[in-house]
Amino acid sequence: MNLEKKIPQVRNFSRRGFLTSGLILAATSALRLPGRAEAVTASEGPEKFTYDGSTDPYPIPWLDKNGSHNQPAGSGNEPSSIYHFKGKVARCSDFTGMGTDNKGIRLAFGSPTTDNAFMQGEYFTGRAVHKGTFAHL
Amino acid sequence: MTLFKGQLAPANQVHDFHPAVGLCGLYLVVPVPEGGLTLSDDGKIAILQLKNLEIIDQPTWPAFRAEATLARMDIKIVWKAKGERVRYSDPQKQFRVDGFKAIAQLEATVEVPSIGFSWKSDPLETSKANFALIGDEVNGKYYTP
Repeated sequence: MNLEKKIPQVRNFSRRGFLTSGLILAATSALRLPGRAEAVTASEGPEKFTYDGSTDPYPIPWLDKNGSHNQPAGSGNEPSSIYHFKGKVARCSDFTGMGTDNKGIRLAFGSPTTDNAFMQGEYFTGRAVHKGTFAHL
Repeated sequence: MTLFKGQLAPANQVHDFHPAVGLCGLYLVVPVPEGGLTLSDDGKIAILQLKNLEIIDQPTWPAFRAEATLARMDIKIVWKAKGERVRYSDPQKQFRVDGFKAIAQLEATVEVPSIGFSWKSDPLETSKANFALIGDEVNGKYYTP
């Protein structure tokens, strides 16, 4: 097995993702740093229209019973979060583990909501086939 | 990733770190850049390693409109297939999974700069997931009964 050591720097991949971050920043900064929020949103401007539809992966429609396009990981449940998908998947949940914060306090992590996955392969959206790798964290 | 002070119980939840829900509706999903996922040749071992991931901390998640604070995460998750095969196929929901039950472990660090908080997990080997699988999936238009 050839495992690469390179650790990529992750940013939100698309302008949509960046805007999402911007909106969150705006929401949080409205309470904390209002000047900064205004600068971020103002510099971005309106999102451009995509004529043949988004290239973002499409969520699985029938998972929407909780309004979140998500379901717990588990035996018999679909591991992918992406609809019209073909590829490699892995999922895991219900972790138990420990860690330490910067004040030396021991904090556990886990529970069924510590639920992670990856999806790597082909997906169909916006009338076209795309390839990509995504993680659910 | 949910952090607890004391037992793993909702009342003890002190942080919840995750990506934001995307505008396209995908739930807590982020793109993985090239090199972020490494698969063994036989597809039975996977290592997901992301650094400097922009996320949010919502300590009262999943409460509706839980307050969110910008945060960052480094995370490494390793899946290793076990011998037991799994195969799910659901014609109504149009998906099929063909793979293996797996062992999964993770290590992570998180940081919330605005409140001066950071946390680092113990080494990967000390963690355990009670559910894990790795395999291949088709759904939607790629599904055939």
